[in-house]
Amino acid sequence: MEQIASHPAAGQKKALPGDFAIWIFIYAELLVFGIFFLAYAYTRAQHVELFNTYQQHLNRESGAINTLVLITSSYFVVMAVAAIRRGAAGHCTRWLILAVLSGSVFVWIKLAEFAAKHAEGITLSTNTFYMFYLSLTFFHFMHVLMGMVILSVVALKAYRGAYNAQEHTGVETGASYWHMVDLVWIILFPLVYVLH
Amino acid sequence: MDVSTRRALQVWLALVVLTLLTWAVGRAGLGGGPVIAGILLSVAVKGQMVADVFMGLRAVRSPWRWMVSGWLLMVLALIGLAFFTGET
Repeated sequence: MEQIASHPAAGQKKALPGDFAIWIFIYAELLVFGIFFLAYAYTRAQHVELFNTYQQHLNRESGAINTLVLITSSYFVVMAVAAIRRGAAGHCTRWLILAVLSGSVFVWIKLAEFAAKHAEGITLSTNTFYMFYLSLTFFHFMHVLMGMVILSVVALKAYRGAYNAQEHTGVETGASYWHMVDLVWIILFPLVYVLH
Repeated sequence: MDVSTRRALQVWLALVVLTLLTWAVGRAGLGGGPVIAGILLSVAVKGQMVADVFMGLRAVRSPWRWMVSGWLLMVLALIGLAFFTGET
């Protein structure tokens, strides 16, 4: 596969895209989400009937639409990075705005899902399945919000001309974080909404 | 459209197709060992595509790339093990 990050000479490997500090954060976040996923899976193994029963009560369509929304927003971010590498700051800004708007669609759908569960009287203490469902999806939801803030700041800076073809570390840093949020949801959706 | 953005579009399309397949499996109520294995395999493919093409890790020096790929494979393998343990 060709890489989006850059076009190094054949066989030449390069450093991580963006600020190295964000990667320490990303690896730490992946570790935390990984532990959370395994806690879900191994708790489920002790309560298979309970998890299978209440999983059927989730809105699978919302989860699937949100997956499509996040992968599409990730694609927009890829295009933003490609644009700034060409020095097209205006295009970069527009792609980032599209990504943030996609993120807001995710947030709106997720809030509707949370509101529906709240209206049914479902809380963290309803049962073990809902404890995991609410805490896992809310934890990820907070990361989406944080990613939207980061991308908004990067978009504003791109609009003001802070980035160009030579210097665009900030765009790559925000992009890397957003892709991590996408990567985590790609596991979370089938794990919580589909697998049984 | 250059090669890298065309590749990103291909990956986006593949991610959409695999997501719709996963949703269809859920909607049909399918479950059990082979379905779990198939979905986890598709998640591994999707995750690796996101890491390699969207994150750009394909071009990155090995330890950093493999930390993400290793995390992905280990988490999915252990999830699979937990689900198969729950089945028996």
